[in-house]
Amino acid sequence: MAFGRTKSRMVIPIVEMTPMIDIIFLLIIFFMVAAQFAQQARVDMNLPKEMGGQEKHLQENTFIINILQDGSIVVDSTKGAISLETLEALLEEKIAKGELSWHTLLIRADEQGKTELLNQVLVLLNRFNFSATKIATETH
Amino acid sequence: MQFNQSNRKGMNRAALSMSSMIDVTFLLLIYFIVSTVLSKPEDQLTPALKVDQGAVVEESLLEPQIILVQQYNEQPVYKIGSQIFTKREQLAEVLLKLPKDPGVIIKAGDNVTVGFAIAAIQESNNAGFEKVTYVPASN
Repeated sequence: MAFGRTKSRMVIPIVEMTPMIDIIFLLIIFFMVAAQFAQQARVDMNLPKEMGGQEKHLQENTFIINILQDGSIVVDSTKGAISLETLEALLEEKIAKGELSWHTLLIRADEQGKTELLNQVLVLLNRFNFSATKIATETH
Repeated sequence: MQFNQSNRKGMNRAALSMSSMIDVTFLLLIYFIVSTVLSKPEDQLTPALKVDQGAVVEESLLEPQIILVQQYNEQPVYKIGSQIFTKREQLAEVLLKLPKDPGVIIKAGDNVTVGFAIAAIQESNNAGFEKVTYVPASN
């Protein structure tokens, strides 16, 4: 009789946890780093409360210019405010490398700030032959 | 002879200590909950961009409707021709009646707030203008 043998062949699957834990930790590190980069480009401010253009096929923004209420320009929050001349040099460098067009540039301006600096930035962009611009709004 | 159950069945049960992993997972969860800043939902307005270069540009820009955004009697206003509006609702009402094909040009002076100027772009979009151009204009 072979009843006993059937019993002894029972195999309990062992779940290998190590690669799963590896992947989980890699994902955690990835999201931590990605969140850090996203935070650097966007400065906390009160954007104009508008519904925006509701366009769904806009390209991803690779360069963000933050114009704060106090009249400062921030491109990378870890580096602080920069002057209009520095911004011009940065734009020149990016455009020369072909990394920047109006499709990939976003302007975030505080709604309570004066348009003076926004206008200066837009004049600068126009000098680089930007035919349009993207201005961020905060949807309700 | 007395065998214990696992030996008799030929099974090797892997004993995984999950407690440390759960500890770490919960610590990370708490870290993310505390450190997360909920970002507000954002959208974009995409006006065309032109720079006012005096008479030459003015001539070519005659056809579209021009909205001036500027200070008037120490308050920000929208000006279309001789009409002056202090509220965006008034501007929206007028924009709805205008022909849409020529487009609209928004000339914003330096002394108004960004929010007030952007409202003109938004209202032009809402009114159905496809060609919305922003012109930075010094006062």
